[in-house]
Amino acid sequence: MEDHYRMDRTMSTAQDTKISARNVQVHYADNHAIKDVNVEIGDKTVTAFIGPSGCGKSTFLRCLNRMNDTIDICRVGGDILIDGEDIYDPKVDPVQLRAKVGMVFQKPNPFPKSIYDNVAYGPKIHGLAANKAELDQIVERALRRGAIWDEVKDRLHAPGTGLSGGQQQRLCIARAVATEPEVLLMDEPCSALDPIATAQVEELIDELRQNYAVVIVTHSMQQAARVSQKTAFFHLGNLVEYDDTDQIFTNPKDPRTESYISGRIG
Amino acid sequence: MSNLLLIAIVIVLGAVGYVLGRKRALNTAGGNIRDLHSLPVYYGANTAMTAVVPAMGLLLVWLLVQPMVVNNAVSGMISDATIAEAGSRDLVMSDVRRVADGLDLAVANGAMSGAEASNLDPSTSDVRGILAAVGVALGSDVSSETLDAAQRYRGMSGTGSIWKAVVVIAASVAGLGIAYMQSHKDFRARNIVERGVLALLIFAASIAILTTLGIILSLVFSTVEFFRLYAASDFFFGLRWNPSFSGRGGGSELGILPLLWGTLYISFVALIVAVPLGLFAAIYLSEYASNRFRSIAKPLLEVLAGIPTIVYGLFALLTVGPLLVDVFGSGGLLGVDWMAGGTAVMTAGLVMGIMLIPFVSSLSDDIINAVPQSMRDGSYGLGATKSETVRQVILPAALPGIVGAILLAASRAIGETMIVVLGAGAAARLSMNPFDAMTTVTAKIVSQLTGDSDFASPEALVAFALGISLFIITLGLNVFALYIVRKYREQYD
Repeated sequence: MEDHYRMDRTMSTAQDTKISARNVQVHYADNHAIKDVNVEIGDKTVTAFIGPSGCGKSTFLRCLNRMNDTIDICRVGGDILIDGEDIYDPKVDPVQLRAKVGMVFQKPNPFPKSIYDNVAYGPKIHGLAANKAELDQIVERALRRGAIWDEVKDRLHAPGTGLSGGQQQRLCIARAVATEPEVLLMDEPCSALDPIATAQVEELIDELRQNYAVVIVTHSMQQAARVSQKTAFFHLGNLVEYDDTDQIFTNPKDPRTESYISGRIG
Repeated sequence: MSNLLLIAIVIVLGAVGYVLGRKRALNTAGGNIRDLHSLPVYYGANTAMTAVVPAMGLLLVWLLVQPMVVNNAVSGMISDATIAEAGSRDLVMSDVRRVADGLDLAVANGAMSGAEASNLDPSTSDVRGILAAVGVALGSDVSSETLDAAQRYRGMSGTGSIWKAVVVIAASVAGLGIAYMQSHKDFRARNIVERGVLALLIFAASIAILTTLGIILSLVFSTVEFFRLYAASDFFFGLRWNPSFSGRGGGSELGILPLLWGTLYISFVALIVAVPLGLFAAIYLSEYASNRFRSIAKPLLEVLAGIPTIVYGLFALLTVGPLLVDVFGSGGLLGVDWMAGGTAVMTAGLVMGIMLIPFVSSLSDDIINAVPQSMRDGSYGLGATKSETVRQVILPAALPGIVGAILLAASRAIGETMIVVLGAGAAARLSMNPFDAMTTVTAKIVSQLTGDSDFASPEALVAFALGISLFIITLGLNVFALYIVRKYREQYD
């Protein structure tokens, strides 16, 4: 089954599959938002989801860490496996799952706490640090990974909401990596940022690839082309095309993909 | 001419003005609305406004000024001897007014003709009897001096009201005329009406503010009067509350401290009950409850806020008090003898706490809902559970608002009256035992002012001093609450 499935998808590069989604359906009340999506997301890869607004790419992203559970009217069908384990299995604790699958949101959303407490929030909840010194280490490591350590190391106890937009978003990324996730989901992480902050975050995403599987939803095709190795194009709730990023942008197979990246639909 | 009729005439003039102004404006534009600066209704409204507003203003001023002028003129006629006999000028003047009004009434009822009333002679006719027949009772026979003054009063008032009618109607007609002439297609009626609307809104806003000022002033004057009769230091630092109603002045101990202690103690108990219950209810409703449950439960909870406090008082008196005695009284369930009667701090505090639950929960619920969803998403996205999210993210974000809500509830508790009148007892007492009967500032204001009270004695005037103390405390709490809310509010964009 697994092999057959892979062949079906004709993966161009042989990578470890981190997440595989099979026949995923999402309904918001009567609205069929995601239709029969199959996708294999590789480990230590940046995968970009592109598509016009309302095509379901964010919805699908939120299925990967069961954030849609917090929406009453949302129903998810099909299977999503992370490391071969079905995350919608009743035995799986969504709270534990979300510690493993971190998420960064469209708008920077630091908690109204100090920078230190923002980053320490996840590790404290999950008991990752045995003592204060260890926690300090975790926070520093996370902030370094978030490429923001040098900017905030002298004011760790200042409120996180006082940072600039780009810094806030990097703080949120640091906060997400502090819980040592295996997958990092990013929902349009740069849409609220200026070009310089965007460049910093993109650089950061590229570095994060060494440790995590990164899935990023973006409206900017240039961004997808810059940061991702694989790209999935969604349209009206369908996964139209999924392939290497180069392939998608230079030689798309589906006419809809071509129309979208050349700016004819959107 | 009665004021009501006058007002009716002015309003009719306004309505006529509306029709005329609208019509004239349309005529100047040759019936084409597009050529008008404003819509036709604005010309009508402008004409009506100019006809009604100045006339009404004039009427209002006239109504205020005329009695003062007449009073001044008439009170000059009264001799010092009469004043000395009656006790004060005000008393004589009120007699004069009663006689004058009585004569007017008698004429209106047909008990005597207008001429008869004007030519009454106190030595030949029984003025007191005539007036009693039309329902105006006088304390003594009418002296010729009083009658003269009353006749003068009638005369001036009569002339005054004729002039009033003439002037007001003239003002209205003049306004109508001016606005009518202005109603030309280029006239900017719309802008004038806009200014009229602005004036109306400012008027409404200032009424509220002026009323507050008026309340404060009336309290302040009586309070100053009180402190003239009773030492301020005894009032603020006295440890005993023991007013005597037997004699006038003296023997009363009017210390505010026992009352303030009762107020704060009961409010404290009430908040201990209301804050956790209200807050938890708010958290449940906003974070955990399904939409359907919330839509039913929230209005139900708010029904509590609609129960009149006197009903809560009855509940305290008849249900909670006896229940507490059964538990804490002698021979009660606990075998302790802490509680002598049903009325106690605990009784009033518990019931008041229940009353405050919807306050705390409703305000907190709004505040918790105002915390952006992105905060919750951020927390859930890190693998936090609901209660961790609530405790560590939502409550800290909502804290200033919640503190504000609690302080507002506290000022409500401090000002609450009926529950403590019925539930807390009447004994002013400085005690730590929450099962003792105590009383509060508000309850004592009620008891000092109800019944026969002499408003010149410190025992009655103390109510105003208590009132203003309470007002300052709750005002301070409200200001503090607003300050906290503003200062610590997170700016979410």
